[in-house]
Amino acid sequence: MTHAPAAAINPAEAMREIADLGKRIAEGAKLFGEIRDEDVAIATTPKDEVWREDKVTLYRYRPLAEAKVKTPVLIVYGLIGRYTMADLQEDRSLVRNLLRLGVDLYVVDWGNPSRADRWLTIDDYVDDYLAGAVAEISRRHGIDRVNLLGICEGGVFTTCYAALHAGTVKNMVLTITPIDFHGDKEQERLGHGFINLWTRSLTPEDIDRLIEAHGTLPGEFMGSVFSMMTPMRTMMKYNLDMLEVMDDKKKFLNFLRMEKWIADRPHHPGEAAKQWLKDLYQDNKLVRSEFVLGGRKVELKSITAPVLNVFAKDDHIIPPATSQALRGKIGTGDYTELALPGGHVGVFVGGKSQGLLGSGIAQWLAERP
Amino acid sequence: MAEIDPFESMRSLASLWGQGGNALLASQQGMFRDMAEKMRAASEGGAPVAAADTAGFEAARRAFGELWSSATEVSANLSKAMQGSAPSDPLVAEMLAKIFDPKAWFSGTNDLDEALQKMAEGPRLSDLWNVERKFLAVFNAWVALRRRTLENNTVTLDAWTRAAGAFAKELNGRAEKAEKLDSWREMLALWVETANTTLLETQRSEAFLKMQRETLKASTDLRLAQRELAEYYSEMFGYPTRAELDDVHKTVTELRRELRALKRERPASAPARPVARKRRSGKRQEATP
Repeated sequence: MTHAPAAAINPAEAMREIADLGKRIAEGAKLFGEIRDEDVAIATTPKDEVWREDKVTLYRYRPLAEAKVKTPVLIVYGLIGRYTMADLQEDRSLVRNLLRLGVDLYVVDWGNPSRADRWLTIDDYVDDYLAGAVAEISRRHGIDRVNLLGICEGGVFTTCYAALHAGTVKNMVLTITPIDFHGDKEQERLGHGFINLWTRSLTPEDIDRLIEAHGTLPGEFMGSVFSMMTPMRTMMKYNLDMLEVMDDKKKFLNFLRMEKWIADRPHHPGEAAKQWLKDLYQDNKLVRSEFVLGGRKVELKSITAPVLNVFAKDDHIIPPATSQALRGKIGTGDYTELALPGGHVGVFVGGKSQGLLGSGIAQWLAERP
Repeated sequence: MAEIDPFESMRSLASLWGQGGNALLASQQGMFRDMAEKMRAASEGGAPVAAADTAGFEAARRAFGELWSSATEVSANLSKAMQGSAPSDPLVAEMLAKIFDPKAWFSGTNDLDEALQKMAEGPRLSDLWNVERKFLAVFNAWVALRRRTLENNTVTLDAWTRAAGAFAKELNGRAEKAEKLDSWREMLALWVETANTTLLETQRSEAFLKMQRETLKASTDLRLAQRELAEYYSEMFGYPTRAELDDVHKTVTELRRELRALKRERPASAPARPVARKRRSGKRQEATP
């Protein structure tokens, strides 16, 4: 260890910071006492249940503006995390932004899978539940095709669905969706693509035994893997980060709402998790059109609907290259990419992308009536 | 006004970490010795059983202990190197204590290990004391998990030591150039940046990934060993076992799958499914024509 003279801190600035710290803590303590659960409610945009199958529920959002996009849009989130991220709070909500732009919006909620749902597969989610939701929307509107908006793992579901049920998809919007699960190797950035690397470090038997032991991919387990991807942030957020915002009610509530979403992490059904981790993350079958659902290969060339592929430039969970791999592999020339500032979640809730994501999607859809 | 030494608090922290780490190790060592003795006593006269890998655990514990001592020495040297004249604010010192404490790296970056342990540690060991052979399998798996956790912590602590070294080097460089840090915030930002980079590099290392995998396997082994023991009791008292429940759930899933397929095969002219169907008593309400 090299010995050195003291690295001094400006004393006046230090005293000011200490005083500021005391003020923040005092104001934060007062705020803590005032905040009620309803103050940090998330996913508050009004919606109505229109269909249900087993634990899966289809909701339709109530319109906030005159319809401008003729064909309804179905939001499909994945089984890791919950769709409420798309409607975190009133001023940071993809759902509200789309509704205000005249989009007729549905969302499918996969519910809370438990160990009893261990045997559900991605086949069930794509060929049955998603297909059932699309059929219900088509029936209600008297149409043959709907617009799909997939998010993350939900984007993989919609990609598979669009390949296997091409005739029922009008347009497909993918957001932060992995296609080439080994694409992280192409553009290695420190802290990016750790889940890809971590999953590849396991053997298929490790994954089989994990699912055998727990029946699901436990929500808290995936949460801890995500936390590992931003290690210092995870360590700092309940002291330094929270301290930064706790004297500002609006920022503090935003912080708590995000924490609420993060804490609400359902278990991933076991057999579907095996497919997700082994077939996709390890064997990378989707991009090679070797992924099999319901006895049929998911051929990306079978996707004929126009595709808008949205990715976040600083997505550390789904690195851009893993999403952009879709280019040139589908059966349509109508393929558009939209690169947005921010990270995996920031692209939905961050201030920078608020004016870009919803309007970008709505405009692209409006151009493809 | 006198300048404030940013590492005033670290001198006491070094002592605190040392005490905390040594206490942790001493208590674990004592606990394992006690457990091993009780296990030997419990298995006397019973079927021969495989011994827990206490040697492996001891080696992991010793490696971790040595690195822990080294880490505390690093922080002590760091503190000595940073001489100041004014005491720091206790509030700031307390916050720094949490931020710079290497134990935080175990609770933060090793969040995964905590999740694994939480997932694995279902029944308490004492609840299952009477079935020696199965209990010992659980105990062995439990020791193995503790060993892997210690090995994992050793990799993480090594990363902390490297981060602390890089942090000290950066501060030394600034001090030699007579550069002042503008604020505590700047110092913390420097620590966060340095530590984050080190941690992320560590996470991509073969050693870290191997330890993570071994810890995951150990956690799974423990869970499965516990299940075997639980199934023994379930069968003894006529309760459904996990394997039986899994089998029932599989059957229900397959039946539901068949039901959905049958619904899809209905003629297009058949009445549509009703809106917002409700299920009662776990059974789905059939479509109403």
